[in-house]
Amino acid sequence: MVKKKIAKVLAFRYKILAAILILLAGGLVLLPKYQKHEGIKPEELLSNTISPERYMTTDRLAHILINQDPSFILIDVRDEKSFASYTLPNAINIPLQKLFDEGSVSYLNQNQYDVVLFSNDNFYADQAWILCNRLGYKHLRVLKGGINEWFTTIINPVKPAENMSASDFELYTTRKAASMFFGVVYPEQVKAETPKVVKVAPKKVITIEKKKKAPAEGGC
Amino acid sequence: MGPLIPNGVIPIEWDNIIAILIGIVFGFVLEASGFSSSRKLAGVFYGYDFAVLKVFFTAAVVAVIGVYYMDYLGYLDITQLYVHPLYLWGAIIGGIIMGVGFVAGGFCPGTSLCAVAIGKIDAIVYVGGIMVGIFIFSELYPLFLPIYDGYFYGNVTLEDSLGINPYWFVFIFSMIAIAAFVVSDMVRKKVKKIFY
Repeated sequence: MVKKKIAKVLAFRYKILAAILILLAGGLVLLPKYQKHEGIKPEELLSNTISPERYMTTDRLAHILINQDPSFILIDVRDEKSFASYTLPNAINIPLQKLFDEGSVSYLNQNQYDVVLFSNDNFYADQAWILCNRLGYKHLRVLKGGINEWFTTIINPVKPAENMSASDFELYTTRKAASMFFGVVYPEQVKAETPKVVKVAPKKVITIEKKKKAPAEGGC
Repeated sequence: MGPLIPNGVIPIEWDNIIAILIGIVFGFVLEASGFSSSRKLAGVFYGYDFAVLKVFFTAAVVAVIGVYYMDYLGYLDITQLYVHPLYLWGAIIGGIIMGVGFVAGGFCPGTSLCAVAIGKIDAIVYVGGIMVGIFIFSELYPLFLPIYDGYFYGNVTLEDSLGINPYWFVFIFSMIAIAAFVVSDMVRKKVKKIFY
């Protein structure tokens, strides 16, 4: 009896399979469609956003610019007018509105360079960073504080008060030196010219003394 | 999550090992279901055996439905899948040559190797023919280059070129498959049975 029943069902096996096929294919058409999430997962985006690694300090950037590190691209996300009036050396202008234009994506979505985004503050640069990061673009950084911070730290560093620590003074001298590299001239730089000559003279004397010593040693 | 290898779930170094394993299983199934017989393969053209048509059509339909369900459920990103590039005239001419070879020799390249493995002499001759064909093609490569390289349309799918909704396409494709199965069964009943 059981065998007969199975045989009866199996006689229709191809029809059953065909029905399953139609059902599955039809289900695909009838399923409610939803907007697919593009880019990286929200959790990943959040953890990337919280991470302080996405920021670059102005000191680090100055170091990169002075050493002419070829592995970095600077991207100015402000509008063309601000870009024309002032920008960082060798920066490329990609205004926030044109971030995903055909020409600009090749700068942002690549694996060759580290990209540093900046604006007046880090506000617009952050926006650009979030938009790009969500699409999974890698190697993007934001200049902490933007051009304003660049001005207050590198171009016009604040002289530390006398009661501040030695590291502050060291930082100040580095920043001052960096600002000189970017074309800032300090009054003491001009004044210091005459005493410098005086300083050079004794140095010469010392070298002469060394030279005198050198042949004596060689003679032994 | 998927595809597994591009997303690093399976390291890329496993590529060749997985390929060999799939190849062994594929060859075994091919041989076990009688696809290493040129009579069975040629049966499609003479109307006494439609196993080839049914098997490959079923495989395509099951795969496409499965892929779209997995894409819908988020297990597989369909945009990351490899799409074969379209060289239009190369594909048409190549398809005609392959079709003629198929009906004349009774093998497609894959099944011919399968048949060589079980020692069929016609398959050995057939594979020899493939080698001769490859040799001629390689020697005349500069001559064929404009067709081989030209009429390039990129990695397009029917969805791109015809602008159809892929879900509807899958549905219509399944209907066509079922219709093909029914028609082929009817043809097979009418054609005189051949024992092979």
